Amino acid sequence: MTDPEPDFLEGLPRYRAPARLRAAILRAAAPAPRWWGPAVSSAAATAMAMVLLWLSVLPRVLPAEPLQRAIRAIVSEHTRILIWGQAHPQVIPASLPWLTQETGIGLQRVFFGDSQLRFVAGEPIYLEGQRGVAFHYTDPGEHMVSYMVLPAPGLTVPERSRVQIGRYRPALTRSDGFAILVWKHGDLASFLVSDMVSELDLERFKAYFLRIREATEPYIE
Amino acid sequence: MAETDFQRQALGHLDALFNLAIYLTRSRSQADDLVQETYLRAFRFSHRFEPGTNLRAWLLQILRNTFLTFYRLREREPALAEDGVPDWDTPVFHEAPEQTGASMEAHTDLERALSRLPPEFRMVLLLAEVECMPLEEVARVMECPVGTVKSRIFRGKERLRELLKDYRQ
Repeated sequence: MTDPEPDFLEGLPRYRAPARLRAAILRAAAPAPRWWGPAVSSAAATAMAMVLLWLSVLPRVLPAEPLQRAIRAIVSEHTRILIWGQAHPQVIPASLPWLTQETGIGLQRVFFGDSQLRFVAGEPIYLEGQRGVAFHYTDPGEHMVSYMVLPAPGLTVPERSRVQIGRYRPALTRSDGFAILVWKHGDLASFLVSDMVSELDLERFKAYFLRIREATEPYIE
Repeated sequence: MAETDFQRQALGHLDALFNLAIYLTRSRSQADDLVQETYLRAFRFSHRFEPGTNLRAWLLQILRNTFLTFYRLREREPALAEDGVPDWDTPVFHEAPEQTGASMEAHTDLERALSRLPPEFRMVLLLAEVECMPLEEVARVMECPVGTVKSRIFRGKERLRELLKDYRQ
């Protein structure tokens, strides 16, 4: 075998998709058959009526504590990103003004990533009835790290959960297998979430917090 | 099973997506899954495609993101093929059409070396050199500046040369 030439990859064979793949894609994309539609509609209407009837007497299952509710919403959003990916990875930096306009949250500085954290996307979010902003990063271990900011004037960061990271003292909490750091910028609450929950991962997660915390400064527009 | 215009146009790039998926996953079954997932996402978010822009680049961008989100996680725990060799070391070229003798051996070495490159380098090389995409489009797919694409092509080829030397010894 000779040394590869600059265009040596051009000779690699090209693989053609099997015909069955096209058929499988179209089959998967096609809407499900609707012969059962009327029956399901009827059952759904009955179920809805039952739910409405019982709703008033069911115990409240949502956490009443604002921080817990916010964390649950943040984790759900992070999970959505993990499963379905980011919507507009090209948002930053050209569309920062648009992001501010859409969310009401300004950003004096934004962490665009570094050798350890690769910037993936920035996008507006809507959680707990509030417009917010989210930035997503991945690290060399392919952990997705999401930084989200929401207006939360009434939210307090619990003292008992605070941890010292550099000169900052965010609260560290866990939920559904994710680690979450919470801190405040005036009336804004910031959340950093990732699945980095092992002892080793947690140390790296804290290091990521420092990078993002020092390089990002949100404010209410 | 009605095909919309968008689906028809998107499926026109099926071979390009499948070819890239094969080189990324090194497995026909995983390539099938990756391409199918890519198309389902593309159809679901077809309203986000801007008519007049490059549909192939848009689809390849979705494929890349899907690969990075799901399939790359699997690489941390390489599965064993039937012969006990990790899947990432098993060339797929023995299935390639019209590959025989020295040509197949050279391509097998090349494919094995290619599979050892980090995915971001592998993708850039495949898009630019195999798919012959303009660097600007590669940059769009990879979500990085053109300069980074050039740098990755250069460094990717350098690494390939080193790896191929190893195989030759």
